[in-house]
Amino acid sequence: MDKYYRLNKPECREFIAGLASKYKVVAPVKKGEKNYVFSEISSPDEIASGYIPTIIPPKKYFFPKRETLIEYDIRAQRQKAVMEYEKLIIFGVRTCDLAGIQCLNMVFSERPRDVNYLIRKNKLIIIGMECWDYCDEHAICGLMDNHQPKGGYDLFFSDMGDFHLIHVNTLVGEEIINSVGVFSPADEKDLEKLEKFRERKRKAFKTSMGVSHQQLKDIFADAEDAKVWEDLGERCLSCGNCTTVCPTCYCFDVIDEINLDFKTGERFRIWDSCQNEDFAKVAGGESFREERKGRQMHRYMRKFKYPLKKYSRYFCTGCGRCSRACMADIRIKETIQEVIKEKGLSNEKAGIS
Amino acid sequence: MKRLELVDSPYLVREAKVCEARQMTKSERYLKIVLKDAHDLDHEPGQFVMVSIAGVGEAPISICSSPTKEGYFELVVRNVGKVTSAIHKLEAGDTVGIRGPFGRGFPVRILEGNDLLFVAGGLGIVPLRSLVDFVIDNRRDFGRVNILLGCRTPQDILFRDEVALWERRIDVNFSCTVDRADPEWKGHVGVITSLIPGVDLDPDRTFAVVVGPPIMYKFVIKELLKKGIPEKQIIVSLERHMKCGVGKCGHCQIADYYCCQDGPVFSYDEIKENIEAL
Amino acid sequence: MKKVKVAFFDFSCCEGCQLQVANIGDLLLDILEKIELVEFREVMSERGGDYDVAVVEGSITTEHDVKRIKGIREKAKVLIAYGSCACTGGVNGMKNNFDLEDVKKYVYRDKSDWFNTVPTMAVDQVVKVDYYVNGCPVYPPEFVRVLKCALRGMPYKVPDYAVCVECKFNENECMYDKGVTCLGPITRAGCNSWCTNNGNICYGCRGMVSNPNKNGQKEVLKKYNIPLDWIVNKFNMYNKAKESQQV
Repeated sequence: MDKYYRLNKPECREFIAGLASKYKVVAPVKKGEKNYVFSEISSPDEIASGYIPTIIPPKKYFFPKRETLIEYDIRAQRQKAVMEYEKLIIFGVRTCDLAGIQCLNMVFSERPRDVNYLIRKNKLIIIGMECWDYCDEHAICGLMDNHQPKGGYDLFFSDMGDFHLIHVNTLVGEEIINSVGVFSPADEKDLEKLEKFRERKRKAFKTSMGVSHQQLKDIFADAEDAKVWEDLGERCLSCGNCTTVCPTCYCFDVIDEINLDFKTGERFRIWDSCQNEDFAKVAGGESFREERKGRQMHRYMRKFKYPLKKYSRYFCTGCGRCSRACMADIRIKETIQEVIKEKGLSNEKAGIS
Repeated sequence: MKRLELVDSPYLVREAKVCEARQMTKSERYLKIVLKDAHDLDHEPGQFVMVSIAGVGEAPISICSSPTKEGYFELVVRNVGKVTSAIHKLEAGDTVGIRGPFGRGFPVRILEGNDLLFVAGGLGIVPLRSLVDFVIDNRRDFGRVNILLGCRTPQDILFRDEVALWERRIDVNFSCTVDRADPEWKGHVGVITSLIPGVDLDPDRTFAVVVGPPIMYKFVIKELLKKGIPEKQIIVSLERHMKCGVGKCGHCQIADYYCCQDGPVFSYDEIKENIEAL
Repeated sequence: MKKVKVAFFDFSCCEGCQLQVANIGDLLLDILEKIELVEFREVMSERGGDYDVAVVEGSITTEHDVKRIKGIREKAKVLIAYGSCACTGGVNGMKNNFDLEDVKKYVYRDKSDWFNTVPTMAVDQVVKVDYYVNGCPVYPPEFVRVLKCALRGMPYKVPDYAVCVECKFNENECMYDKGVTCLGPITRAGCNSWCTNNGNICYGCRGMVSNPNKNGQKEVLKKYNIPLDWIVNKFNMYNKAKESQQV
């Protein structure tokens, strides 16, 4: 039986303050006029209300933008594989970002496993937060079927108006509940209310894209030659914003840095982007994705086609960050529309015989 | 922040020693390497290793020796960048870091019992040599063996002594062509594709194994298909930018393949639909 | 290990980049273990003879400069162009917007005949440059990185992607979101988006990425209602001397 707790709104502040006194807590904080970032908080007042997806998703805690892999000492011909971690509570993770973390989990646990990622991931505690409606016009979480919680959290908060309903998904979550004594067990009525809210939510997240979650993979199956890539290639500035902010982009570069003693140093990885000029360039100088249209096509295929074979899921969470961050107004919704227009939803693809 | 030392990190390099090093041409250096932690690298022909120079970086390098040569492995490195130029400075006795072997090599168990047509362009002879030597060391297990080699000039021919031996063997048909001849050159002149029509082969029984610069594949494959060799029996090895070697960093991706794990060896039918591959 | 002799030279510049050496902090002591400073006007007076590495700040603006930099190049095993003025001509390039005689008269008035001047040039428009440390001023961590490469005889590649990449890594609010025009999308990274991290815009002091999407950029300007000449002028503030190679 699923376990639910109830937290009255006034006590929510007490809960956050209690957490922050025991753990390092990060949560969405307002940045500038219309942006939000996950950042350390010490008081509940710092948490933004009604936040839309943060500039960078919580992937930065799982897969830091710069991470040491190896430390070496040339003199002693010694090297050490290392990792750094920190126990952290990530509060307020939306379902789109929970899905993003699940995608990264798959990539980094695929053999050969990435030990750095896997150890760190288990030190992080995730508290999710339900959305009741689209955050803005860029989100396509409904289409990507990531608007509903599907695991991936320790605790999950649903705002029920005057109280929060909290789903406990793990023992770690239960321990947190017990360590801050402000919760009361949820009763039947609370759960009925949740069901009602969820019913309303299903309507709110209807998609108007003219394509279903299932059909998406069919329209992208042979979209390599679509003209839309040329259009995107003409507009794209290769600023890399779309990949940096994507919750499922994980490409990296590996770089050696030697210290000034010229004996010791480290090998680290740093986020990289398939949109960058040199990304697919071999040492001899040949680039296998020289044109912007090819790089944009690659980005979309990495969300809607390539991962399906290996991971049986889309690598687009529907968070809409790439659209929000694009200088050139390349919008994921429009791109999908264009692909549909070109490739068409044939009867077969639409499931009509 | 807490810090952990990892014993099972895929980024940990194995210590190895260079036991022989010599310059083959102006830009290619030969290295013979032994591992310190194991007698043998235990690789398949066609696989590669990440060669690590601490303080400089890592580069993916094809293994050019056959696994039948036990206790060591060989690399030929072209000086094209920061890491390879540091590798070029290695001398016998130096220590070097190795990760791997990585990737899917040539499908030797499928090739067994069939006729083979090797097509090597330029530096392509390097990875291909691991298979040629494997086949020669197990010569009885294979059918007819044809080797076609194409180079820019006679000076660019690598492993000249060994190539001369292949030429003399009665159980190997060897032809070589150069783009530009010098006065001493007595062999073919022209691109490698010009050698293919003249090869006597039974297309159904023949596997063609092609390795060369990216530009070469399209033309060679066209000729091979003309010969009637089935798509499944055309094997290529592709070069891509690689950073991690373990299928994560994304640099070597070719559509849904990670070249470092799913390749670098592919059959033509696996990648022909893939507009990025060739 | 014998210390490498390093000499700093300045041409037309404000010497602010040399001042950045003092901002390197603790690492400076480690650097001084490896190098022997034989010439550095900002902090020392004695003038040494030989040097292995020449760190050149400033742009070339007179005939005398041309001769002098050629002399330095002959003596130096390695030449590092240091700062925007040396790498792209920097703000001194603005001179190239005007007639040289007018410029001379404006600056030196009735004594203008005493001086000669040539169009502003980046160092690599006169002699071969081995390493570039872009920026106005240079970003000290990048200088340390370049110096390490130079001392080890290894290449250093200036990043060839836009400042936006680093700016987004740092989760800054986009200047365009704030209604402010910024040159980040066309400017080479490597500064860890130093300016935008501190609330300023990017002025393009590191020069342009090698393959900017010119038409795409124009569309973006249209969207924000920014006239093309306005952005070209802005970019030329640091890059006029290399204009012909870019726009």
